[in-house]
Amino acid sequence: MIRSGEIIESFRIAIESVRVNLMRSILTTAGVVVGVVLVVLMGWTIKGLDAVWEQTISIIGKDMIYVDKWNWTGGGNWRLMEARKDITLAQVEQYIDRAEAPELCMPTVRSWGANVVVGNQSLRCSAMGVTYEYGMTPAGEIADGRFFNQIEDEQAADVVVIGHNIAKTLFPGGNALGKTLKIQQRPLRIVGVVEKRGFLFMDFIDNQVFVPLLTFRTLYGFQGRSFSIAIKAGNEAMLSVVRDEAVGLMREIRNVPPSRDDDFSINEMKAFDAQAANIRLYIWIVGIGLTVLSFIVGSIGIMNIMFVSVTERTKEIGVRKAIGAKRRSIAVQFLVESTLLCLTGALVAFPISQILVGSTQWLAVHVFDFEAASVVSPFIPLDLLGIAAAVAVVVGLAAGLVPALKAAMLNPVEALRFE
Amino acid sequence: MTSPTPIINIEHISKIYEMGDEKVYALRDVSLTISKGEYVALMGPSGSGKSTLMNMLGCLDTPTSGRYEFNGANVNELDDDELAEIRNREIGFVFQTFNLLPRATALSNVELPLVYSGMKADARHRRAAETLASVGLAERTGHKPNELSGGQRQRVAIARALVTQPSIILADEPTGNLDSKTGQEIMALFDELYRQGNTVILVTHEEDIARHARRIVRLRDGLIESDKSNGASA
Ligand SMILES: Nc1ncnc2c1ncn2[C@@H]1O[C@H](COP(=O)(O)OP(=O)(O)OP(=O)(O)O)[C@@H](O)[C@H]1O
Ligand SMILES: [Mg+2]
Repeated sequence: MIRSGEIIESFRIAIESVRVNLMRSILTTAGVVVGVVLVVLMGWTIKGLDAVWEQTISIIGKDMIYVDKWNWTGGGNWRLMEARKDITLAQVEQYIDRAEAPELCMPTVRSWGANVVVGNQSLRCSAMGVTYEYGMTPAGEIADGRFFNQIEDEQAADVVVIGHNIAKTLFPGGNALGKTLKIQQRPLRIVGVVEKRGFLFMDFIDNQVFVPLLTFRTLYGFQGRSFSIAIKAGNEAMLSVVRDEAVGLMREIRNVPPSRDDDFSINEMKAFDAQAANIRLYIWIVGIGLTVLSFIVGSIGIMNIMFVSVTERTKEIGVRKAIGAKRRSIAVQFLVESTLLCLTGALVAFPISQILVGSTQWLAVHVFDFEAASVVSPFIPLDLLGIAAAVAVVVGLAAGLVPALKAAMLNPVEALRFE
Repeated sequence: MTSPTPIINIEHISKIYEMGDEKVYALRDVSLTISKGEYVALMGPSGSGKSTLMNMLGCLDTPTSGRYEFNGANVNELDDDELAEIRNREIGFVFQTFNLLPRATALSNVELPLVYSGMKADARHRRAAETLASVGLAERTGHKPNELSGGQRQRVAIARALVTQPSIILADEPTGNLDSKTGQEIMALFDELYRQGNTVILVTHEEDIARHARRIVRLRDGLIESDKSNGASA
């Protein structure tokens, strides 16, 4: 058992020792400082990405399902999907007729290589043919103006709703409403601008224009295009019911024999979670690799300085032993010292990390135009500081162990003799 | 006059240092009994084994062969931590070079053995302050060693040795680093401790110093050459 008096004494000695050799102490903790900074940065980045991602999928709609010829997340066999028959508008309409579970469902069709022209400026983007109901899904939420209405829809009116980035690029002044843009030489009146939707690797969502389905047909035709069905389940709990119904209905509509796999894919926002998890994993691997590396370098530095400290204080150790210090008392004294050294490193690292985190966030939002970062806190969360400090303590204990044991095992007579 | 209770009883103790092929006999077959309340001087020329014997008596070192009984306990059978405990409770060391912790105050230095014995802080402060006062340093408790004279430093060291109220006080050339006047003052302090009933053992090669003791043990080449009571002073 170690007495509290000894622990306090150890802290007193350790603080004294760190203070007396302050410059040396700070220099030797450089590795630990880097390690702690990395832990904090990594933790903050992961938390930040999670926040951005959470924001993204909740904006696009956690309760949305898209039935499509293609699997959007890149799963499945590309050649098999290529060989699938297109989903026709008639099939979509059959589904819409028969589906009971969803709150809302609608056909969509897309041309990836649309050319939008305003004056002498042109922009490549993706054009979607949708019905007015698309305006009721989270992906069609309007920032400015309105979504086109049912009448415009049915009359194949020459109206268009544009994505956030398109508005920003073509109308930097922000006065897109009521203006005209041309697609396939056809002038279309801008009636609405969609709220910024795409964060992270979903940026393409903001580079879209929406026209009524029938307008789309006059622009691009339906020939050779596969439709997809956008389905809003209503709430997350309904997702599985809606999904099961969609699979059943689509198999029936597309005459898939029971022995065959689905010849369509069910895409959910949730599926993108896997991608987010992957990114998180890469950050972890790289971050942990760098962190471990710097902590190894750091602990070698600490171990080295602790060996120096033990040697410098050999005589002192002899005196302490002569007056009754047990081995563990001596060991504790040096362990406390190495731990305190590492905590000093952590203390130096915290303001550095805060400056880095704060400026990274600011740069991301203001210089790199990565607006998504604005949902991330520019401050280091406290639990992260706690974790970083705990890691520093562990490194201190590990790095101090061998020197502390060496000190504890010294022969008192030889230690006293040491000059 | 002296109580017959032996506090130290060593029998046929040898200490051999192996230096490569060569063997250095620091002590050869030494036997010695010291009773409670004695005042003993260990004398002898340099290299005769005084310090080696002193370290053995103080449980800092273990003999190569032979038997050591301290207060009736067989020291040979004790492990490092048990020896540390004996040193803490029963033995007070005073060194030639004082060996105070340079960055700690006089009071903290004196308190240190009590830290290791687990005494509570206030009791510790009180006891250490009393002990410092008893060696005449009541006014110097907050001074660091480099703010004290040599004689004062040795008094702090003596207070540190006394603070646990040990069974014996061991001093290895306690006046070796002091001028003769200060040395005599320190010896007066040891005389006083002896009069109060403490067991005092000191190493010296100065006859002037040895004269204070009641018994003089002379070593030569690791052997006890003579062991006489000292009639000179009374
Ligand atoms: N660690 C050691 N290794 C080898 N030999 C040693 C060691 N310690 C002591 N000796 C030898 O043992 C002998 C006795 O040494 P010791 O220190 O006891 O002498 P001493 O009587 O105290 O001498 P002094 O008056 O100079 O202090 C010496 O010959 C010394 O060289
Ligand atoms: Mg000696």
